[in-house]
Amino acid sequence: MIEVSGLTRTYGGFTAVDDVSFTCEPGRVTGFLGPNGAGKTTTMRIMVGLTPPSSGRVTIGGHLYRDIPNPGRHVGVLLDAGAQHAGRSGREILTIGARTMGLPDSRVDEMLAMVSLSDEEASRRLRNYSLGMKQRLGIAHALLGDPEVLILDEPANGLDPAGIRWMRDLLKGYAHRGGTVLLSSHLLNEVELVADELILIGRGKIVAQGDKKSLGALDAQVSSLVTALDPAALVRGLEAEGFQVVPEGEGFRVNASTADVGRAALEHLIVLTDLRDGAAGLEDLFLELTADTQREVAPGVPAAPAAPEGAHR
Amino acid sequence: MTTHAPERRTIDISRTEGIPFSRLVKVEWRKMLDTRGGFWLLAITGVLLVFAVAIVLLVIGLDEDVRVSALDWSTILTIPLSLLLPVFAIQSVTSEWSQRTGLVTFSLEPHRIRVLLAKVSAVILLVLATIVVAIALGAVANVVGAQMGGYDARWNLEVSTLAATVFVQLVYFLMAFGIGMVLLSTPAAIAIFYVVALLLPFMVYGTLYALFDWAQDFIPWIDLQFATAPLLDPNDSVSATNIAQMAVACTIWVVVPLVLGSRRVLSSEPK
Ligand SMILES: Nc1ncnc2c1ncn2[C@@H]1O[C@H](COP(=O)(O)OP(=O)(O)OP(=O)(O)O)[C@@H](O)[C@H]1O
Ligand SMILES: [Mg+2]
Repeated sequence: MIEVSGLTRTYGGFTAVDDVSFTCEPGRVTGFLGPNGAGKTTTMRIMVGLTPPSSGRVTIGGHLYRDIPNPGRHVGVLLDAGAQHAGRSGREILTIGARTMGLPDSRVDEMLAMVSLSDEEASRRLRNYSLGMKQRLGIAHALLGDPEVLILDEPANGLDPAGIRWMRDLLKGYAHRGGTVLLSSHLLNEVELVADELILIGRGKIVAQGDKKSLGALDAQVSSLVTALDPAALVRGLEAEGFQVVPEGEGFRVNASTADVGRAALEHLIVLTDLRDGAAGLEDLFLELTADTQREVAPGVPAAPAAPEGAHR
Repeated sequence: MTTHAPERRTIDISRTEGIPFSRLVKVEWRKMLDTRGGFWLLAITGVLLVFAVAIVLLVIGLDEDVRVSALDWSTILTIPLSLLLPVFAIQSVTSEWSQRTGLVTFSLEPHRIRVLLAKVSAVILLVLATIVVAIALGAVANVVGAQMGGYDARWNLEVSTLAATVFVQLVYFLMAFGIGMVLLSTPAAIAIFYVVALLLPFMVYGTLYALFDWAQDFIPWIDLQFATAPLLDPNDSVSATNIAQMAVACTIWVVVPLVLGSRRVLSSEPK
């Protein structure tokens, strides 16, 4: 179990992680989600003692990371799969890890087989690895010591679809056996399928956390998307029922459930051509919650300054 | 049958042993030698050693008056050892940053001071191992040289001189290690090390020493080569001033970098 409480990390005047608290339960996969620069990596680095926190603390299984003897046997860590010596072979990299942890060399072969790196690939130097191969090696390295807790920073990065599926099954199975998994991503749909719990972070602050259902319920507004043969009649009919109708795309967004819209159409004898649930879904919720933390304010390329230099107001 | 394994909210660490120091040393030794760069450094050093022996034997063969003793051999053969091998000491630290392996190294052993001590130990083992090789080679060369030159081999390498050789070699490697820790950059550390250890003594200090009186008083206090020279010459007696000079030069180039550098490694964030 990972317990983060009141974690803050500042760099000069900049707060990278701002009073972050959450818990990762054993037997569950916890997804750590946030846009670029939100503070995910920094939080994970603090967990394993690579970065000291400005305040707050993290315990793993009730211990500070530095108090865990031979921590590789209890906590599997993957922060950056590329952070390995480019001149070492994959096998050598795993061998160094195994020797450090006091594991037999046979463990290296087991892990290589598990992440489907062939003997030939394992003997190549890391500089000649593809992104996905590095990622597989990094996952193998994290699992070497058969740890109870896994901390993985963007593990799916660079994996092909089959690799992502494989990793998802791996992590689910791992949690099913009682392990604790924390994995970060900036892609919701990548995490949604594997995580039981989600923690949303933006600009260093936790903006929401909970299981997928409770997070979905946060988006309480009902709305529907509807189009009709006679749009004008549709608007009249819906407004007569007291709903707000806003044009969107080909049709309209209505602040009513699909059942209410259907009933209104029936009463006013309107022929609908499309009627859909317009609820935002987790994706929109994610974007909304982290909206003020997004870099992209509006799509499109910013216009060049209209006036040349010197046109100060 | 339950589908879930019992949930473990705490981790039982009572049955896990910490990583023994000897294991860390073995791993650091392996990391020092398992790259292509490490292989070539060793290979070239080996070639230089053989080359040095060959040249001296050639001179003995050509010139009947030349006699080379065990002490001479040890002096000659420690030169190749001090040329390239200090790079091992530098890279042992700096590659954790330049290759970013520190992320893994320091998460597998969060007590960084243990990692540093293991690295220093591996470096010391390298110094000892290479000196043993050089001395063994020198002993063989001493016999062969005596045969070729038609003189009796002189075994005049005293234990105290050998100890001094090891000491001076260690001083240079520790300086390399310290500079590596201070700079955490391979090229910068290599450049500074060779300027201080080789370039300054030969190109600058040597000239100043020959030309100016004040330089003769001053340079042994700041240069390791001048400071340690009396130690390596069995005919020289080591005075209290010599010891003081050595202490000052070692403080400047070894103690200060080691202290500043280890503080830097302990407090910085490997990225
Ligand atoms: N040593 C440092 N000095 C200054 N700022 C830093 C330092 N380390 C991290 N930061 C800043 O902290 C913020 C959080 O960075 P972090 O790497 O944790 O983001 P992230 O959530 O992992 O993003 P991504 O999804 O892009 O990986 C960023 O703005 C980053 O620039
Ligand atoms: Mg990151």
